[in-house]
Amino acid sequence: MTEALLQLRGITKRFPGVLALDGVDFALTAGEVHALVGENGAGKSTLIKIISGVHQPDAGRIDYLGTPVTFPTPRAAADRGITVIYQEVALFPDLTVLENLYVGAYPRRPLLRHSGRGRRVDWMAMRARAQDVAASLGVKLDLEAPVHRLSAAQQQLVEIARALLRDARVIIMDEPTGPLTQQDAARLFSLIRQLRSRGVGIIYISHRLEEIFEVADRLTVLRDGRRIVAMPVGETTREMLIHHMVGRTLDTLYPHTARQTGPPVLEVEGLGTSGALTDVSFTLGRGEILGLAGLVGSGRTTLARAIFGIVPPGRGRIKLDGVDARIAHAGRARELGIAYVPEERQRQGLVLPFSVSENLSLVILRRLSRLGFINHASERTVAHDVVRRLDIRTPGIGVPAATLSGGNQQKVVVGKWLAAQPRVLIMDEPTRGVDVGAKAEIHRLMSELAGRGLAILLISSELPELLGMSDRIMVMHRGRIAGELSRDQATQEKIMAMATGVA
Amino acid sequence: MNIRLLWRERVLIGLLISSGVVLALLSDVFLTPANLLRATRYAAEIGLVALPMTMIIISRGIDLSVASNMALSAMAMGLLWQRGLPIWPAVAIGVVTGTLAGWLNGWVIARVRVPAIVVTLATLAVYRGIATGLSGGTGILGFPESFLALGAGTVAGIPVQTVIWIAGIVIAAVFLTRTTNGRYIYGIGHNETALRFSGIAVDRIVLGLYTASGFVAALAGMIYAARVGTAKSNAAAGYELSIITAVVLGGTSLAGGEGTLVGTVLGVLILTILQNGLTLARVPAAMQDVLIGTVLLAAVLTYRERPMRKEVSAQSTSQPAPRRAAGRAMSDPENTLAAGEERRKP
Amino acid sequence: MRERGRELTIVAALAMLSGYLSLTQANFRDAFTISTILTNAAYVAVVGIGMTIVIVAGQIDISVGSMLAVCALITGTLARAGVPMPLVVLASLLLGLGMGALNGALVAYLRVPSIIVTLATLTVLRGAIVWWTKGYWVMPLPPGWKVLGTTHLLGLPLPVWIGWAAVLAASILLAHTVFGREIYAAGSHPQAAQLNGIDTARVTFWVFALNGLLVGLATMLHVTRFSMVQTQEGLGLEFLVITAVVVGGTNIFGGSGTVMGTYLGVLLLTVTSSALTFLGISATWDQAIRGAFILVAVTADIVRTGQWRQPVGWA
Repeated sequence: MTEALLQLRGITKRFPGVLALDGVDFALTAGEVHALVGENGAGKSTLIKIISGVHQPDAGRIDYLGTPVTFPTPRAAADRGITVIYQEVALFPDLTVLENLYVGAYPRRPLLRHSGRGRRVDWMAMRARAQDVAASLGVKLDLEAPVHRLSAAQQQLVEIARALLRDARVIIMDEPTGPLTQQDAARLFSLIRQLRSRGVGIIYISHRLEEIFEVADRLTVLRDGRRIVAMPVGETTREMLIHHMVGRTLDTLYPHTARQTGPPVLEVEGLGTSGALTDVSFTLGRGEILGLAGLVGSGRTTLARAIFGIVPPGRGRIKLDGVDARIAHAGRARELGIAYVPEERQRQGLVLPFSVSENLSLVILRRLSRLGFINHASERTVAHDVVRRLDIRTPGIGVPAATLSGGNQQKVVVGKWLAAQPRVLIMDEPTRGVDVGAKAEIHRLMSELAGRGLAILLISSELPELLGMSDRIMVMHRGRIAGELSRDQATQEKIMAMATGVA
Repeated sequence: MNIRLLWRERVLIGLLISSGVVLALLSDVFLTPANLLRATRYAAEIGLVALPMTMIIISRGIDLSVASNMALSAMAMGLLWQRGLPIWPAVAIGVVTGTLAGWLNGWVIARVRVPAIVVTLATLAVYRGIATGLSGGTGILGFPESFLALGAGTVAGIPVQTVIWIAGIVIAAVFLTRTTNGRYIYGIGHNETALRFSGIAVDRIVLGLYTASGFVAALAGMIYAARVGTAKSNAAAGYELSIITAVVLGGTSLAGGEGTLVGTVLGVLILTILQNGLTLARVPAAMQDVLIGTVLLAAVLTYRERPMRKEVSAQSTSQPAPRRAAGRAMSDPENTLAAGEERRKP
Repeated sequence: MRERGRELTIVAALAMLSGYLSLTQANFRDAFTISTILTNAAYVAVVGIGMTIVIVAGQIDISVGSMLAVCALITGTLARAGVPMPLVVLASLLLGLGMGALNGALVAYLRVPSIIVTLATLTVLRGAIVWWTKGYWVMPLPPGWKVLGTTHLLGLPLPVWIGWAAVLAASILLAHTVFGREIYAAGSHPQAAQLNGIDTARVTFWVFALNGLLVGLATMLHVTRFSMVQTQEGLGLEFLVITAVVVGGTNIFGGSGTVMGTYLGVLLLTVTSSALTFLGISATWDQAIRGAFILVAVTADIVRTGQWRQPVGWA
């Protein structure tokens, strides 16, 4: 371990109310792919933010290239060769691909031929080097296209190319395959191996365990802000890894109760929207949890939004309790008893500066008012009721939703829809970014709701969640239903095969 | 009723009182009831239009076309009257004209999704231009007394337009703080997307706001014409800036989601009192502009220096918002990478 | 190549309008008219360059008209006091730079939104200068005053050439210098710009300062054509310029736009004004048509790019 590229010792980081990291050790050697695994909220993102200079540790030390360092800003870390490819793409939508590769680190040349300091952007050099990198990646990049025109996968490639252009010694990849197709992912893995042979250290974060076994050399497991174990990938198995990550048996995390699925509540027939969905048909019964699997971009979210009326309706029919429903807009869906817990909690689910009670009453505000005047007393009653029922941990119903933890924020989003007493509840990645405890609570709530007859459509990228919670799993691939599996048949392998179009 | 004032509203009341005291010292006439009532005649025009403007700005929009709309509606009224229509039907059609003009703004903003600043910048020119074109550059005079009373008459000793303004304040305040749509307006300003994902008809609310703005502007246009006795195409020129100044002075954030009508009314009063009092004190009009501009900047700096506490009451929805360094109010909300938000292009 | 769609559309519109006028209206072909159009466009274009840069950076400056009045009246007064013209020009540039820097400091370092800052300086500057001149026009001006504005070079007045030079220089600045590219980055995605080590506050400050400097230059191109300086100089200029910038294809929310587009936008607006006169439409309709231009231009853009169809929350 002497030639460690990056060595972290005893890193501790506290946020208001949370101990995000508790004395974590971590070491990365040059030419190594080191997987960082753990449940959401285990501290992975805090750790990479400390390595990349976004956060400062409260305690502990970082050695980089053999000397102790501090990175006060992301820029400082980047200048020393530590690059992060974030989950959320941080590109400039208006600028071209070429320019996005270089923003903040333009190759320069003098304004006039011999005028000293370089103030002029050297487009020629930029283009030449960018083409080299694109070639070494084995990808085609339209360097002159504005980034907002690119698909998510292409944008990801731009980010990777950008890291390579900056001669990074450490590259941190946070769920890099999320938006990629199977082929793109395979290409990425070969690229990662190429980087490894050049001596670059790669920290690889992914929820997809099979990827870790495919590409990583070593792994570190974090749970609840602590390092549980660090070892070579070859010395562990999937089962051991999950045990380390979760730290408890899956039964408690995914409380599935035996239920009878009732008559169909939601029937979708031949649903199609231009480009995104083709001939989607399924039924969802009373008290059923129907899992919806598929890769990012497979049409899962579009399907949910088409049912909820946010994506304009195209071909096909939607029936609710056997009655034809024309859902032209989300307001109509709400009236019909369809609820949608969206994937981006903070952007789509909550009005962050609004109080907990204002968020909880958002959907049913008209019901809580007479002639348009809000009845504040019943608003408070409803809010208190939901807070108690869902066990939302908040100092009061008057505090802004922004001050709550991720898990409790998610409960507010679920709660505002439960207040509307829906017939169908669509949940899009309901536990993304939620800590283990709250996650289990949300799962328990789902089981309870289904037990009381609510029909739930669960969209999730976490296969264990789908397998653990669903009565049935439907898999999407390129806008179509690729197949359906019963709870007993379903395995991760079968789902992945369908999702990637192999089966 | 438990009235809680926000920090910025307390600042404004302090400012109002202190400027009143200073102006009273500078001029004997200032603090007479007659003068103060007279001052409210001007305040009412600005103040009326400022009410829907406050709501529009809270919803993270803007309406730059209001003053042009005032001129257009008054011009429409004047031309119809000149061609022989009785005055009150002409007024009614004038008000309908302005309402339609506001509706058009709202339609383009809500349905075509053109940014409000661009739409209303365009209609600022279009509406004023139509008024100018229709008028051929001349004003219309000689309106009947019954109409002029709208701008010069009194009810129980209080100017007619002041009574209208007060009624408008009450209606607007009840609407904004007590009704569902009022709540939604704040929500749209903070996070329009979340409201859409809650099944709320955002477009309809936005359309309603701009239509209301057009209606009120038309009404103010009538009052203006009645006060000066003329319908002319350059009526109320530059009022949009005074109105927006008053709203911003009143603490409404151009970034949306924040603001109160109490603040706006105080902003209008301060603006009016400064103008009236300084005129009485024989301060040149140009110097008044310097003072008012400085007050605006100083006020906004003060709000910034002390972030608002979250007041736990039904109406307040304020919360310290991290201003981005290069932030422009009418652009995106504070979207931080940390929050995992993606930037949406307008 | 970068997208040139908007520029080409404007060029086509210009060509059609001018072509039609040249064919049907004999007077329009007169060199005098074309030269007049170019000259009238020159100073608006120079202010437009600054405004383009400010808007690309994600900001706005509505105080340009007032800044122009301050520069005009003070330089006029200096010229009357016998200050030599080169120094008067320098004074105009420095005054503009100073006022722009004031806006910039307030926006970048005190973090007041630019619309509020420039709304305030719009009022304050105009008020201050009118108060200082007591509303009197500055006249008569010394004979040297009009040299800059009326000297001809190759048949065109000097301001036209200076305007073109400024457009060229600014195009190069925006397209080829590091500072120029940082302006786009800051306007396109400020947080990402900061993550990439761009000092967005510094960029913002200099963008406003540069805008002020250009207003100072525009003042000299404009007022030296007349034998007096009026207090209402530049009144409403901000609307005209923002219209030209938007018509020229710059995104009002920052991140994209070109100086060439703005210049063409200014030309289109100027030609349209002249066209109205030639076509016998009263000039009173000028403003209405100008406004319609923005609406049509922006709406067409939004429809063309399909943004209006996109469901909300759709990345």
